[in-house]
Amino acid sequence: MFASQQRSRRLFDSLTYAVLTAITVFALAPILWAFLTSLKPETDIVSSTLQYIPQHLTLENYSTIWRRSGFAHLVGNSAIVAVLTVTICLLFGSFAAYSVSRYRFPGRTQLLLFFLVSRMFPVVLLLIPLFIMLRQLNLLDTHLGLALAYATFLLPLTIWMLKGFFDAIPVELEDAARIDGCTRVGTLFRIILPLARGGLAATAVFVAVSAWNEFLLALMLTTSNGSRTWPVGLQLMVGEFQLPWGQLCAGGVISIIPIIIFFGFIQKSLIRGLTSGAVKG
Amino acid sequence: MSSRSVAPRSPLLSRRDASARPFGRLLAFTEGRLWAYLLLLPSLLLLAAIIIYPIGSGILLSFHEMRLTRADLGTPFIGLRHYRDLLTDDDVFRLALRNTVVWVAVGVVSQFLLGLVAALALNRNVRGTGVFRLLMLIPWFLPSVVAGHMWALMLDSRLGVINDLLVRAGVLAHYQAWFVNPHTSLLAVSLVELWRSFPFFTLFLLAGIQAIPDDLYEAATTDGASMGQQFRFITVPLLMPVIVATVVLRVIGLVNGPDLLIVLTNGGPGNATQVLSLYAFQTAYTAFNFGYAAAISVVMLLLLMAFTVVYVRVSGATKE
Repeated sequence: MFASQQRSRRLFDSLTYAVLTAITVFALAPILWAFLTSLKPETDIVSSTLQYIPQHLTLENYSTIWRRSGFAHLVGNSAIVAVLTVTICLLFGSFAAYSVSRYRFPGRTQLLLFFLVSRMFPVVLLLIPLFIMLRQLNLLDTHLGLALAYATFLLPLTIWMLKGFFDAIPVELEDAARIDGCTRVGTLFRIILPLARGGLAATAVFVAVSAWNEFLLALMLTTSNGSRTWPVGLQLMVGEFQLPWGQLCAGGVISIIPIIIFFGFIQKSLIRGLTSGAVKG
Repeated sequence: MSSRSVAPRSPLLSRRDASARPFGRLLAFTEGRLWAYLLLLPSLLLLAAIIIYPIGSGILLSFHEMRLTRADLGTPFIGLRHYRDLLTDDDVFRLALRNTVVWVAVGVVSQFLLGLVAALALNRNVRGTGVFRLLMLIPWFLPSVVAGHMWALMLDSRLGVINDLLVRAGVLAHYQAWFVNPHTSLLAVSLVELWRSFPFFTLFLLAGIQAIPDDLYEAATTDGASMGQQFRFITVPLLMPVIVATVVLRVIGLVNGPDLLIVLTNGGPGNATQVLSLYAFQTAYTAFNFGYAAAISVVMLLLLMAFTVVYVRVSGATKE
């Protein structure tokens, strides 16, 4: 009886590993393939027999794409926009998140719902008036203009995530501080924000990665190399010069390296922040 | 930004009797409900400027003629004419509507199922689960442009590794042009979307499953419930709020996100992968017919709202 139970358990464990391995291979294979392709010279990529293991390793694709059409400049633009977006979202979002986390007031539930479903508005519906508005403010084709456009979907998300982290901090800690003479605002700065450091970092990373990856708004709201971000630049290179596969893969690999590094560092609290709101409903 | 100027001083001030101090009333004020609104104010003002106002003027725009290529027309009010044209006289719209339904249905079902399987497997917590979870989530964090081109290369009709593998395995007689064949193009893009978005379901379903108290399962085991019964009578009902929320968010994402389609097919071949979001986008930025594009977007918004209300009602997630 006991032995058979143990056997079925072991069988079940093997099945679990099989499923996990299969899904992980599915998740990683395209990335691995792009990486392998980026290391091949173009003649090997387009040759009629497919090379699974690169026969001539080269970093040529990397140096070419990096120098090409100001790709380095595009990456720089993306970094600036990401930093601006994070600044706007955290600055505005932490006050708002503290408010919805600690106060109960009429309209709170509706407001939270609005933050959650604000993604429901079609991008194009938002984009046309936003385009006109940014042009009037002379913010079209600027880093700040794009960061403001990103706040349309990232600020609600920031508030939602930070609320989850703030909720997790016991109110008793604040009470103790307030008995010692700290005000509400004092506790925000002296208790909540320091204790939610991990959460703030995770939120910042999520916002930065989303801004770094964004394509559609950047495509429409940037018109020159002055503020164009790398996803748009890469896509335009594909369209304009039939960018060779090797360089395209190298550009892709370069641009996902920072994401993977950040994600590896911060994933635990990031996952907690993203999911805590959903679980509590 | 009055909160910023108050904050650093307040602890010092309130150490003694706050009401006796000049800032006393301000400090007392920070305890009240008004303060909750004041903290929200900067965000609400910003969101009003970048969401509410644009959406409002976008909806108004759908009742007007506005073509950038025909400045001579001006922007006259034309009532519901765009909507009438859409519903009675636009074959592309009808096709895009049908494709959108397929795109969303295939996308949500496939992503949900794979995400659920992954979450259940991760929840068994075998050794190495942390590493599997980390690696599985990576696609969700990658940019659509890179994801699109990675798969375009793998599914390429001449150089594609997937064609090569399938021919070697004997599944295919010869290489297929997945994105060019109108019968496979929408499914091919759906595969890429599945790859990119199943981790979303994995992440949230796993968190939901882990929030279910263990003693429920222990009690069920004592009562002799099988694993299947436990899944059906404990996991699924308790997971329902998370399922409803994630499905709604994903449907919104699929309806509103034409990124991958822009990168991979741009609606082609013919209009085989034309969906509403892409059609609205092309109407605005290829045809420069802003009024008509706004009307398409409003229809999308109405459909999404109707779906959300009906779905949340039917699944009974509102009753706590």
